[in-house]
Amino acid sequence: MVSGKLGRYARSVSIIGIGATPFCDIGNDPELTGLTEGEFFGHAALMAMADAGLEEAVKDVASGAHEIVLSGCVEMACGLPIPGQPTHLRRRIKTEDIIPDLEGIMDRAYTRALGGGHIGQDDWIDLYRKEYGLTDEQVDLVLNTMSYHGGRAAALNPLAMFQTPYEEEAKECGFDDPMEYLRSSYNPKTTQYLRVSGNASGADGAACVIVCPTEMAHQFKQKPVEVLGIGASCLELMWPHNEMEITREAARQVYEMTGLTPEDIDLLLVNDFVLPSQLCAAEEVGYLPRGEGWKMVLEGRTAFDGDRPINPHGGRTSYGHAFGASGMADVYEAVLQLRGQAGPRQVKNNPKTAMLRGFGGGQNCRIPILRTVEVRR
Amino acid sequence: MKIEKVVETFYEGLAEHKLLGRRCKECGAIEYPPRYACNTCGYHETEWVELSGKGKLHSVITPSTLNADPWNDQIGPYVYGLVELEEGPMFNCTVFGIKRKMAKKLRDQLPVPVHALYVEREGFTTVFFELDDPEIGK
Repeated sequence: MVSGKLGRYARSVSIIGIGATPFCDIGNDPELTGLTEGEFFGHAALMAMADAGLEEAVKDVASGAHEIVLSGCVEMACGLPIPGQPTHLRRRIKTEDIIPDLEGIMDRAYTRALGGGHIGQDDWIDLYRKEYGLTDEQVDLVLNTMSYHGGRAAALNPLAMFQTPYEEEAKECGFDDPMEYLRSSYNPKTTQYLRVSGNASGADGAACVIVCPTEMAHQFKQKPVEVLGIGASCLELMWPHNEMEITREAARQVYEMTGLTPEDIDLLLVNDFVLPSQLCAAEEVGYLPRGEGWKMVLEGRTAFDGDRPINPHGGRTSYGHAFGASGMADVYEAVLQLRGQAGPRQVKNNPKTAMLRGFGGGQNCRIPILRTVEVRR
Repeated sequence: MKIEKVVETFYEGLAEHKLLGRRCKECGAIEYPPRYACNTCGYHETEWVELSGKGKLHSVITPSTLNADPWNDQIGPYVYGLVELEEGPMFNCTVFGIKRKMAKKLRDQLPVPVHALYVEREGFTTVFFELDDPEIGK
């Protein structure tokens, strides 16, 4: 892969407002059924404006008159439009709709036809297992521990799709120990390493942010969070260890541009739609020491209340995954945590700087670093 | 600069059971599957080169409910893995001749030699790989 270099931004930009809908299946909720993607987006956008104290300035935001920009994402992943009918009428998505669709993230020239894309879920954790000599049972324990802590965080998150803690699920199936439940046939493997609990569930959801030049950011309601830089890299799924390579490259770029080092990062959010990414990406960006991260997971140190927190919203597997909107929901969570507004799931290390490892699509990686702006008065 | 049909030429090669890549005129690295430019050094000029189809398998991932490709079953047992061609390129692909119950034992023997397996699909020929020694996958 040929590496890239990020230029300095001409102007500093900060996030001043955030909004997000719950990640959920609207078809399961009589109060939400019938909402459209436009309304979901609009709700997140209005929340972001209210959050910034911009209720009266909707037109200004839209026109850009004050150099304020709203950006957002919406995805309705639990349903599909019905051809010929308006958008509030949707049909439930079925496994038969999803399985052929999984190929949609693969290159059509080669990867689909040459059978090179199906390795993605397991490839990185397989490499990790080999490199550090873990047994299959240890890998399973590490992944189940991540599921467990993700579930704990999501249980405290009103926006999360799965708010039932694993303790309760376990009890319903006759287990006293949630870890025993997680390694039982109630939670079967869907790939060589991943169990059901290690795969993200599709969700309906939207999230928005409002940004403005940092020099203007202090006049709004919230503590501004500056976007220091965004690393970017992409490689196709056929490329060996593509997720590892693009994570390494995007992280290298953003560290180089910002002059920060892994020691500066207090909080990491990782797109973990396949759960092992949480651990593997955290080591690749230097947030956890190489080869040691799996032990830290087992000690609970990467849980929302640990000293190296990862995905305090619960992660894709517990928070839900509204595909195209999940990355923005990560930004929403990171900003809440940096402001100290995350309530009962607030991380304990008083974070100033957060890194987000976005990943997906075809395969793209984006790694922003966000930092709270010290108050200047 | 003339527009070149790289993808079509590659599949025309497969139809004749020829494996084609592109060699970089600057650094000599081989781009497989072939694309316009070199992903090793970034140079834009590359030329066609026929590859032997011989290589080594470096990893074994067994297919399961989420990532199985039912179409493959008509050919035989298969896994997913990382293949390195003897000319250098490495890529993920599907490798035949390996039963799932043999995966664990085979992992201890990696890397193992494999070769190209040309397969007819509807409207085109594709290329997978298979073990040189069928015994170790049975």
